[in-house]
Amino acid sequence: MKFQIPIGPQHPALKEPISIRLTVEGEVIKDADLRLGYNHRGVEKLAEEKSWIQNIYLCERICGICSHSHATCFVQGAEKLLEIEPPRRGVYLRYLVSELERIHSHLLWLGVAGHEAGFDTFFMYTWRDREVVMDLLEMISGNRVHYAINTLGGVRRDIDETLRGKILEGLAVLKARSEYYFKIGAAEPTFVARLAGVGPLTKQQAMDYCAVGPMARASGIDRDVRKNDPHDFYNEVEFDVATADSCDVLGRTIVRIKELFESYKICEQILRKLPDGPIAVKAPRRAKPGEVVSRYEAPRGENIHYIVANGSDKPERLKVRAPTLANYPATIEILKHGFIADVPLIFAAIDPCICCAERSVELVDARSGEERTLRFSDLRRMANDRARSLSLQRNVAWPL
Amino acid sequence: MNDEQKIEKLKTFVSPEAVAHPASHRIFVTVAPSGLVTLVERMKAELDNWYVITISGVDKGESYEILYHFGDTTGSITVRTQIPKADPRLPSICGPIPGAVLYERELQDMFGIAVDNLPDPRPMLMPDDWPAGNFPLRKDWKFDRPAEVIPGGEK
Repeated sequence: MKFQIPIGPQHPALKEPISIRLTVEGEVIKDADLRLGYNHRGVEKLAEEKSWIQNIYLCERICGICSHSHATCFVQGAEKLLEIEPPRRGVYLRYLVSELERIHSHLLWLGVAGHEAGFDTFFMYTWRDREVVMDLLEMISGNRVHYAINTLGGVRRDIDETLRGKILEGLAVLKARSEYYFKIGAAEPTFVARLAGVGPLTKQQAMDYCAVGPMARASGIDRDVRKNDPHDFYNEVEFDVATADSCDVLGRTIVRIKELFESYKICEQILRKLPDGPIAVKAPRRAKPGEVVSRYEAPRGENIHYIVANGSDKPERLKVRAPTLANYPATIEILKHGFIADVPLIFAAIDPCICCAERSVELVDARSGEERTLRFSDLRRMANDRARSLSLQRNVAWPL
Repeated sequence: MNDEQKIEKLKTFVSPEAVAHPASHRIFVTVAPSGLVTLVERMKAELDNWYVITISGVDKGESYEILYHFGDTTGSITVRTQIPKADPRLPSICGPIPGAVLYERELQDMFGIAVDNLPDPRPMLMPDDWPAGNFPLRKDWKFDRPAEVIPGGEK
């Protein structure tokens, strides 16, 4: 006997509308299905009616967390089509915001992961520290979420010596705090035990289902646009691609913690080497007919924009692929054969509430289809037996 | 594998004039729809760390241009193919690459292109009550916003 549990699209625990249908047998998920499109806004169609400069602000509104990623990806491509070269100071400032955004996004994710694993202290620590980087972003751009720093041919705001000092101070604070996250697993073995072995995705599966970002890197694939297909800027700074081999949620956490350090390293190099000069050049209004493929490593994985110009002041076509869409096929694979209790962790950022669907005392035996009513004491005994027989990885060492 | 090595390899799969190299890290290959799946299978077997990034469709007036963007450790390869608007039909590449399923479903929704042998052909993005035959990313499709009706407002 199989049950279908629908989660979403509108659900108190979901922050964004998505519908997940889980077919369960007991508490083991046998099949998973996603339904998308509840928040489809028609950005690609709309982009064909907006001018090049208007499209930057449209792209910025594709995502509320990595807003700079889509804008940068679009601007990178549009600048090639408009045949302009942004000045070096502008490029450095653009990618400074990129890396600060990556820091804020990873701190946010770590907090959510801590919360889902039942480690709320970690959630509060990371989200408190995230305010430091949010304040830096606000000082640089004037906004906390939609920075609007990009323009065609450079950036819109410069930083001065005082602000440069403040950013370095902020980075020092964050670095010291991240050292603590680096060690947290050693002090908190329950956290490690909760994450290890959950949501396994083998290297071969990650390849077949075309996973991107930390999901692929946690399965041992060094897939990072900043190294594989970099904008010229990333050749001028030193950093490593963070990977892990454990292929589970623990690995995905490790990759993100390591990436925090790489981002601090990049930010410090930018501020040390920041060239003098103008921050932007004037861009023409029209682009010659042509096409460009622009790729960018967003905090969640690879972004791609395919832009076609037709000689007018508007793009002929703008195709946007956000990293989360690329990770859905792999997520479905992970969910199959997982446990209901692990869904929130696997879907960490989405946060669905399973307990609401799971309150029945009348049970149907998954194999015989026979219905029987159990007393709570029996249910508790069954749950405890199950917990004992689970292959929980109790002695996993924190790999950092 | 750098760009030159990849181009050499691709020239053994398709005719040499079908391979273009407009910028560093960017290779474009043109292929007929019938040769698409064979090309993808060979690319998968002989290029390393290789995956599909996305599939873009472009309305070119008389035909649709479909671009398969593939990535690897040293850049991206885009496979370009054209299908006539009168009979928009494509083979699915989900055999060699199961991860392409969402992008092919998106093509079906947005351009009304029938993708053959798709493992999961359900509509993906459009609502259940979306009128049949409306494909938003076709150039001749225009959105007319229905007049707003305020209950109790002016007739």
